[in-house]
Amino acid sequence: MENILSLKNIKKNYGEIAALKGVSLDIERGSFLGILGPNGAGKTTLMNIIIGLIAPDEGEILLENSPVIHRSNDVIQKFGYVPQEIALYEELSAIKNLEIFGGLYGLKGKALRSRISEVLELVGLYERKKDAVKTFSGGMKRRFNIACSILHSPEIILCDEPTVGIDPQSRNAIFDMLQRMHKAEGKTIIYTTHYMEEAERLCDKLEIIDNGKIIAEGTLAELINLLAKKQSIKILKESRAISVKKELSSLGTLNELEFHFELIPGTEYSKLHQLFPKLESLGISEDNIEISRATLEDVFLNLTGRRLRD
Amino acid sequence: MNTVLMLFKKDTYRFLSDKPALLLTFILPAVLILIFGEIFSGNGGQQSRIPIIFVNESSSPAAKIIEEKLDSSKALKPVKSIKTSDKNKTIFFNEKTAKDYVEKGKFSTAVILPKNFISDSSAALNIKVYYDPKDEIEYSLIMGNIQKIIYSTIPSVFPALLQNKWQKEIGPAQAKKFKTSMAKTVNYFFGVPADSIEKYMDLSYISQSHSLNADSAASNFFSELLNFQSTQVVGKEISNPGATRMVGGWAIMFLLFSIVSASISLFEEKQQGTLKRLLTMPVSRNQIIWSKYLYTTVLGVIQLAVMFIFAWAVFNVDIFSNFINLFLMIIASTLAAVSFGMLITSFTKSLSQANGIATILILIMSAIGGSWFPVFLLPEWMQTISKTTITYWSVDGFLQVLWRHSDLSGILINLVVLLGIAGAVNAVALYRFKKTDILT
Ligand SMILES: Nc1ncnc2c1ncn2[C@@H]1O[C@H](COP(=O)(O)OP(=O)(O)OP(=O)(O)O)[C@@H](O)[C@H]1O
Ligand SMILES: [Mg+2]
Repeated sequence: MENILSLKNIKKNYGEIAALKGVSLDIERGSFLGILGPNGAGKTTLMNIIIGLIAPDEGEILLENSPVIHRSNDVIQKFGYVPQEIALYEELSAIKNLEIFGGLYGLKGKALRSRISEVLELVGLYERKKDAVKTFSGGMKRRFNIACSILHSPEIILCDEPTVGIDPQSRNAIFDMLQRMHKAEGKTIIYTTHYMEEAERLCDKLEIIDNGKIIAEGTLAELINLLAKKQSIKILKESRAISVKKELSSLGTLNELEFHFELIPGTEYSKLHQLFPKLESLGISEDNIEISRATLEDVFLNLTGRRLRD
Repeated sequence: MNTVLMLFKKDTYRFLSDKPALLLTFILPAVLILIFGEIFSGNGGQQSRIPIIFVNESSSPAAKIIEEKLDSSKALKPVKSIKTSDKNKTIFFNEKTAKDYVEKGKFSTAVILPKNFISDSSAALNIKVYYDPKDEIEYSLIMGNIQKIIYSTIPSVFPALLQNKWQKEIGPAQAKKFKTSMAKTVNYFFGVPADSIEKYMDLSYISQSHSLNADSAASNFFSELLNFQSTQVVGKEISNPGATRMVGGWAIMFLLFSIVSASISLFEEKQQGTLKRLLTMPVSRNQIIWSKYLYTTVLGVIQLAVMFIFAWAVFNVDIFSNFINLFLMIIASTLAAVSFGMLITSFTKSLSQANGIATILILIMSAIGGSWFPVFLLPEWMQTISKTTITYWSVDGFLQVLWRHSDLSGILINLVVLLGIAGAVNAVALYRFKKTDILT
């Protein structure tokens, strides 16, 4: 697949703070790219640079293989930007907001009206279209914030943490909505988040960003494969386990935690059918064993020595 | 241009959905114009008379005339007796009790025409006034009115005073001789009976008789000597002078307030993130700024128009006979106010900062520029500063148009200065917008 967007060595400083320290990435047409990183990693800065709200100090952005001209109408129409903060005229009704934003994108008349109905259905707010946005719940505002950004049917949708601070229901609604646009309409979606569950669930490809740098990229499987341990075994710290602690540590790396041991099996025991008989023979009951698959959290921890969320 | 209009529409929707802004722009000014219009409108007839104590101890007919004039005065209300609070007794004021009541602060002024109001021994009128100068405006109002009444009475009293004077100078015997020969001379030349002439020239006749009314020969003669002919040359046909003078001042103050709050709504949009959203749309920074200009200008013109129409509807302020010039003043004032709003926006960093600075500046401009009271009441050096304010040139222009019914030449300087201010201030504001990029 061709790249719809390429960033080449983007750098941005805010005075002393280096927000981006040379970010390069390629985004395939029709892909769902996740940018995962903790607070202050530089996600919003990166989005603002892609959309042209701020200029990078260094680096280049290619849109369909040619340098992007940000203020040109063509380019503006291609992008839909869902800002991290809700940006709506809250005192006006949903429909007035959409009329204004649609009008500014050059939509009018029947086309505008039918497009308004479409996006209102999509975000599940058709029934509330006449209400002032300020009367919406937090989750509804978030959904409507997206609606206003996709009204003009952009090809590339940038979502900057669109699910911050909302209930699971609204969050699922947003996921469904984005996945529909991705799968059914073939939109390219760039999605930043600091929730690894979201990134795991939604994205084809992931960029892990920390401190203004991309520290890893790939599909979920590729990233997990970066880990020495793809899984860990939790063993409850009851008297039997404690008494065979020495034997357990010979099976791999053993970490002693408050309530259980965490065992990362060594290479000769990397398959569970090799490990389980061993544990059984040490007299550890199956009930006291829990297997956990490695997650992006582990990947992040492994790469940075820190957790994604504090 | 379409984009600017779209943004203008957006601002209009927002304004219309903003109840407090609507209230501040249209209702509050209307209410205040109503209140102050009532206070200053002389035509209402309900203007209250200022009470003063009046004691007339003189038996002279001239004193009687003054008393009658005071009784029918529109400005003063002579109080001659009062019910005491403890017993239900009515006391009539005399000099002593009058002085007492002024001292106690019950009345601000007492006017006493004493027994020797017209003294036999001098040509002067004796009047006593006790006053408490706690309220200088009231005091000068009272004194002005009393003097007016006395001056208009003097022609009738003057002959008696003059006779007093010369009879005293030459002595009664000589005076008698003079009158007799004078009467004879008149009789000789004009055939009028000498005794009636002599009687007419008699002091007691003049000061006691009823010839003190305006058509007596003597009083006619003296009223020609002392002829106050004051003619109001400006504002004569103004249907409501008080409201007419006031409406421009209040209108311009509220114009400044609402325009500033409309232009600093840029900060609101910045705060709520919509400004950023607009900038990811096919909307340029310049279009956002120009749409603000368009919006504030239209809002200002409508607001001023509504206020003047209100003043016309309620106080009968004549806004139509000089409509074109009034409209020119409205446009020029609005443009100047818009530039002020933009200047504030371009030099501040947040809504609250802009609001604070704007409020202080508007209040100062209103105070020294003539929104609240006429500029001539200010010390001279301050009047010079007045001329640097938008308020001064607007208020003055509106007065020219509504009060003097000036033609274009009368307000040309106001228009030129206001548009000059608008041009210069806008240049600074636009430069700041370019330089500091407040939009992001
Ligand atoms: N306008 C600004 N002025 C100064 N520093 C800034 C500015 N915007 C961002 N930064 C700094 O740049 C760095 C990256 O910020 P950015 O907002 O891009 O992070 P983020 O990944 O979006 O964080 P979050 O998850 O909290 O939204 C941070 O250290 C931040 O403090
Ligand atoms: Mg962010």
